[in-house]
Amino acid sequence: MRYRAFIEYAMPFPLLRPLRLATSSVLLLLLCAVAHAQNVPPTNSVNTPAVRPAGGEPVDATAQPPAAAAATSAPAAADPALLSRDARRIYELSRDKLVQIRTLLRNANTQASIGSGFFVSADGLIVTNFHVASQLALEPERYRGVYVTMEGQEGEVELLAFDVQRDLAVLRAKGRTAAAPVLGFRPADEALAQGERIYSLGNPLDIGFAVTEGTYNGLVKRSFYPRIFFGGTLNPGMSGGPAVDDAGRVLGVNVAKRLDGEQVSFLIPAEFAQALVKRAANAQPITQAAHGEMTRQLMEHQQVLTDRFLKAPFREQRHGNYRVPVPDDALARCWGSGRDPAFPGLNLERTQCRADSDVVAGDFNPGAVRLGYEAYNAPTLGAARFARMFSQSFANEQLQTRGNRHQTAAECSERFVDPGSLPLRAVVCLSAYRKLPGLYNMTILAASTNQPTQGILGRLDVQGIAFDNGMKLASHYLNAFRWEAAP
Amino acid sequence: MIMPTLGLIEAFDRHGALLARAPITRWPITVGRALDCDLVLDDPFVAPTHLRIDRVVDAPRTVQVEVLETRNGARLQRKQSSKHYGQGERFDWPDGTPIDLGHTQVTLRLADTPIAQEQPLPQFPWRTVAMTVMLVVLMMAVAAGNSWLEARDVSQYLKSLPGVLLMLLVVLGGWSGVWAAANKVFAGQLRFWRHVRIACAAALGVDAVHLVAHLTAFAFSLEALSRFANVLVVLVLAVSLYAHLATVLPRRRVGLAWTVAAVVALGVPSWLGAQWLNNMRLSSTMYMSSLFPPSLRVAPAVPVEQFLQETESLRSKLDRRLRDDGQADDDE
Repeated sequence: MRYRAFIEYAMPFPLLRPLRLATSSVLLLLLCAVAHAQNVPPTNSVNTPAVRPAGGEPVDATAQPPAAAAATSAPAAADPALLSRDARRIYELSRDKLVQIRTLLRNANTQASIGSGFFVSADGLIVTNFHVASQLALEPERYRGVYVTMEGQEGEVELLAFDVQRDLAVLRAKGRTAAAPVLGFRPADEALAQGERIYSLGNPLDIGFAVTEGTYNGLVKRSFYPRIFFGGTLNPGMSGGPAVDDAGRVLGVNVAKRLDGEQVSFLIPAEFAQALVKRAANAQPITQAAHGEMTRQLMEHQQVLTDRFLKAPFREQRHGNYRVPVPDDALARCWGSGRDPAFPGLNLERTQCRADSDVVAGDFNPGAVRLGYEAYNAPTLGAARFARMFSQSFANEQLQTRGNRHQTAAECSERFVDPGSLPLRAVVCLSAYRKLPGLYNMTILAASTNQPTQGILGRLDVQGIAFDNGMKLASHYLNAFRWEAAP
Repeated sequence: MIMPTLGLIEAFDRHGALLARAPITRWPITVGRALDCDLVLDDPFVAPTHLRIDRVVDAPRTVQVEVLETRNGARLQRKQSSKHYGQGERFDWPDGTPIDLGHTQVTLRLADTPIAQEQPLPQFPWRTVAMTVMLVVLMMAVAAGNSWLEARDVSQYLKSLPGVLLMLLVVLGGWSGVWAAANKVFAGQLRFWRHVRIACAAALGVDAVHLVAHLTAFAFSLEALSRFANVLVVLVLAVSLYAHLATVLPRRRVGLAWTVAAVVALGVPSWLGAQWLNNMRLSSTMYMSSLFPPSLRVAPAVPVEQFLQETESLRSKLDRRLRDDGQADDDE
């Protein structure tokens, strides 16, 4: 969990639920950072606070205009540098086309989340991120959406269409009489060159509209769906804002950034936004909770996921004589670590793999695939002591023991299985999503039972998968464990 | 003239303490609260003149009891069964059998009854001492072994061992001491070492049940056994609790056995029931996690496909959870 989507929560009194969501992702971030601390280059291992206080932002000296929402004229830039003039030009070009998107609690009229968006058609279609508008899709009876222009003009929005997989939504500004000023899309055939200067627009942290400069760095490697690597700063609240080229044409939509790096941010390529806008043009507004549509999209997502995992055989990873499956390098990143210094008799190797395949779907992130291994080798320990230590490690796995409003508690099935050369104790646990019928979270635990003082523990987590595909992945996974006796 | 003593009638309270005693110099005698009785009792549940006891002339070894004007009557405590007699009834009082009047127990000793032989003073109880020592040593050995299984290296283990054993002795002493104090209060004697033996046996029993349950579960892939090993442990603890209580109140063994059995019989199902209501499962353990050396596995390892076919059953279980688990409103 190294991403953080930038919804900015209402500042002084954040609502309980979003606040908790925020803290949980911070925790996850810290956990990951600690787990990988040994392998991450020093610059990356710094745990930057996930949500910086509004005043504590790093100031990008060249590119950040002091953008206050009320300011109608850009401040007289004393700096004659060309870059600043470019940014100012972009700002002038696009300022009236940007909006801030707020979701408000219907009863209390307080802000639940804020993000950015931009007009893409004269009749008032607005593109933003799904994670900005997800409450409008999932709990329309509790939340309503409004847009606010840079001049402070405010109006209701309605949700027309969303794309969970790419994290996009299209809204319509209601009750507009004048034609909306529109940002055009950059044609897909005009490819950008790596290193080209691009500009991201939005309303960071609800302070005011801002333009930040950065570079286009091509597509993100190992991203499940295409994403543009933006070498610039994005901040919470800028989600859904446009990223434009030198001519002010939209090339992407702001979506996320890495919390453990600096100026490592991500954009959704504009073509997906264009496709969704096309779909939305004739769509009816969504007024009922759209779990059905979300389920349909997540079903599509898990099918793509399953196909990709099943298409390629797992890569074999060696731990002593054990051969365990890890996903192909193109699908997931793996990190390893070794040896527990507090336990001299034990040789321990850990591997953690994670595919960047999760999508933001309201309060939960289905689609995530994680794998982990712990290989133990302790020839001097003796069988009884090894068994005790191995059992404790096997017992120490977190599962969904209790249900909640999103999903049920897990049900498990367990058995000794033998994929051929390595008897395993296998446990398969699934828990069902309540509002996404047919989708499950699956956890597989596997513990080798072939050697008295050696063993390997494996864990595979797949979130948001259909039952049958879960079984296919389980078979693919469990059958890939092997023991290769020394020649 | 000195009258010959024909017998001795004695009254005890329910804990066996002597309340009153009267030598019998003539027949018949009376028992009751009235001061003109031969044996005067201070029990509010006894009538002023409760019993008349007479020796039948033509059957010199037989004593006959007549229940006089009383509401509560009398109860003859025979070995096998007791019998209640109401007002106006008469019965024979066999030698050596107690009679209950109200909350008092009355016994009779006749002068012409043969006297039992003098018993030798008890020898030093070597066997009991040996048994105690063995149990304590065994328990400490098991604790040391357990801590060895968990130890990460030898020097650390050796450093921690004295602390572990000392702690164990302190806990054992404290536990037995509390029981001994209760014993002293209720039965007049400490019986500390007996409580030590019971506690050691209980600890060893718990360890043994635990090990056997998990080992069997692993060997034969009987997950239920590992899931409910704690219930078996509760049974061992209940037996040891009974042993402690029966030592404190030996006269109430039967009642205590019923009480402990009732607590277990009600407690275990209600605990399981609460788990079920709370989480739709009887045990909080999600899967069997105790792994033993592979050579101890007896259950076959099946092909992955067969296992996953069995796993299909989770679908209906999860459907049931979706329907009935009642946790849809819970926060994470």
